[in-house]
Amino acid sequence: MWSRTFAGLIIGLLLSVSLVLNLNLLLPIKEDTMLLIGLLLAFPLWAGVQVWGYSFANAKKAWLKLTMVLIPSVLINAALLSLR
Amino acid sequence: MNKDSLKALTNAHAWVGLVISTILFIIFFAGSISLFRDDINAWELNPHFAVHEQSDKFSFDSLINEVAQEYNINTHGYFILSMPTAEQPLANLYFEEKISEEEHVDQHLILAPNGKVIGKGNGSRWGDFLYELHYDLHIPEVGLYFVGIVTLFFFVALLSGVVIHWRKIISKFFQYRKDGNKDKLLDAHNLIGVMGLPFHIMYAFSGLVFNLLIIYQISYAVVLYGGDQNELFKAAGVVDVHLDETKIVMPVQGIDNLFLTAKASLGEVTIDRVSIDHFGDESASVTFRGADKSQFSTRKEATYHIASGRVLYLTKDNFDNDLRGGLSVISSLHFGDFSGYLIRVLFFILGIGTCYIILTGNLMWIQKKVNLRVEKQNPIGLKVVYAITTGGFIGTIFASAVGFVFARIIPIDFVGRSDVIGYLFFGCLFTAIVVSLNIKAQKQFAATFLRITAVTLSITPILDWFVVSQGIKVMLSFGYYHVIVVEIMLISLALFCWLIASRLFVYKRSEEIIPESHVSIQTQNL
Repeated sequence: MWSRTFAGLIIGLLLSVSLVLNLNLLLPIKEDTMLLIGLLLAFPLWAGVQVWGYSFANAKKAWLKLTMVLIPSVLINAALLSLR
Repeated sequence: MNKDSLKALTNAHAWVGLVISTILFIIFFAGSISLFRDDINAWELNPHFAVHEQSDKFSFDSLINEVAQEYNINTHGYFILSMPTAEQPLANLYFEEKISEEEHVDQHLILAPNGKVIGKGNGSRWGDFLYELHYDLHIPEVGLYFVGIVTLFFFVALLSGVVIHWRKIISKFFQYRKDGNKDKLLDAHNLIGVMGLPFHIMYAFSGLVFNLLIIYQISYAVVLYGGDQNELFKAAGVVDVHLDETKIVMPVQGIDNLFLTAKASLGEVTIDRVSIDHFGDESASVTFRGADKSQFSTRKEATYHIASGRVLYLTKDNFDNDLRGGLSVISSLHFGDFSGYLIRVLFFILGIGTCYIILTGNLMWIQKKVNLRVEKQNPIGLKVVYAITTGGFIGTIFASAVGFVFARIIPIDFVGRSDVIGYLFFGCLFTAIVVSLNIKAQKQFAATFLRITAVTLSITPILDWFVVSQGIKVMLSFGYYHVIVVEIMLISLALFCWLIASRLFVYKRSEEIIPESHVSIQTQNL
C-alpha cells in the first residue's frame, strides 16, 4: 500500500503541475484567471491521480501506468516552453 | 471499473481512512468548533469586560496616543486593530512592544467600543487555540503542511469512497438498516458521506488551498516566472505598498480623518481591521480593510501614507484580480462567514457528522479485523486502532471540554493562563490515549468515557452562570448572545456524546473486546 501511496503522491503532484502548466501555456486567457483555473484544477487532479494509483492491484502497475501518462505531458511541457 | 480495481480501491479507502483518522478527527472537531471562534473568544473575554454603554465614536488618535505613552511600540513590528462590530462590541489591539533591541513582547489590549483601553487580553486565547489546532495542530513550522497532507488524503478517501459507492449512490441513498450492527455503521457512513458530499469536497479542496498552496506557488514561480517569486505575486494580485523607512521619528496622528476618508472612498464597507506599518516613523502607513456585506465575498482595502495622507493603494473589488477574488470566495466558503449563524450551524452539524463518519469508518475496520480467524488477527494493530479511536477521538472531545471549563474558571488576569489551558488540553488527550492503550474492555471504556465527556461539556454552561453571571446579564441586555451560542454548542455536543454512548457503545457483560493471544469468539460483537 505504501508504494502505491508514494506513486500517487509523487506522480500525482508532478502530473497535476504538468497538466495545469500545459493549460496555462496553451489557453489564451489573462494571467490571473489562468492562475485561478490552475489552482482549481491542480488539487483535484492530484487527488484523482492518487485514487487512480490505488485502483491498481499492485504497486509496479501503478508506477508504470502513472508514469506513462506523465511522460507525454512533460514532453508537451518541454515543447511548449521551448516555443514560448 | 472491474472487480479487482474496485477491491483494491476499497482496501485503499479503508487503509487511507484509518491512517489519517485521528488527525482528521482532530482537524474536523476543532474546525467545527472554530466556526464559532469569535463567539468563543467573546464568551471567554466579554463577561469580564462587560461594558454598560455603547458608543459610535471610536477615536483612533486618542487610543494611539494612550498606547504610545504607555508602551514602546516596535517600529518594525506589527500593529493591528481588530475593530468593534455590530456583533462584537469590544475591540482588540495587537502590537509588538520593544523592551530592548533584542527583546520584543507581544501585547494584546482589550478596548471599549469608544476605543478606551479596558484591559489586557494576553491570556484569553481559547478560541484561537482551537482554531490553531484545526489548521496546524500546534506543531511549529511543519504543522500547516502536515495538516495539508492529511487533507489531501481526506480528498483521496472522499473520491475513492464515491467511486466505491457509485453504483448504489442513488438506489441506496436513504438506506439505514438500524438493526444490523455492521449494516448500521456502513449505512451511517455512506448516508452522511453522500448527504454531505458537496460540503466535504468544499472542505477538502479549500483546506488544501490554505495549507498546500505553497507547492504550486513554488512550481509556478520556477517554471512560469523563471524563479522570480515577485513576478508571480504581481500576477496573483499581491500589491506591495511598503515604503522604505526614513528613520525620522514622527508621532502617528490623523488616523481619525483617514478613517473617514477611507470609508467615503470605499463605499459600502464594514471596516474590521486597521493596521499600521512602520509605527512612529515618517514612512508609516495605515491600511483599512473590510468586507462589503451586501456582496457574497468582496474585500475592500485602502492604504494611506499617514504623514501626507497620500493614497498608496485602494481596491473596491478583491484587489481587482481574479485569483484573489477566487481565494476570497474559497475563504468565505470555508469559514461560512457569508450568511450569519444559519450557515455556520449547518456547517457545524456537517462537521460533527464528518467526525461520525471517521468514527464509523474505524469501527467498521475494527469489526472486520475482530471477525477474522484468530491466527489472522494482529492483536497489537487492533489495540492501537482501538486506542486511537477511543482514546484519540473521545480524548479530543474530552480535552476540549476540559479546556472550556478551565477557560472559564482560571482568572482572566492569571499570568500564563492560555499556556496552562493548552498544556491541560494536550495532557488530557495524551492521558486518554495512554489509558486507552491499557484498557481491555474498550467498548465499556468508550461508553463511560463518552458519558464523562458529556458531563464535562455540560459543566461549562453551569459554571458560566456561577462565575460571570453579572457580565453575561450585561451582555444579554445589549443584545450580545455569544455566551448563549457557546452554551448551546456545548450542550449539543454533550447530548451527541451521550447519544453515541447509549447507541453505539452498548456494552453487554458477556462481551470482551481487546483480543489477546487467547482471543475468543466472544470478541466478535463490538
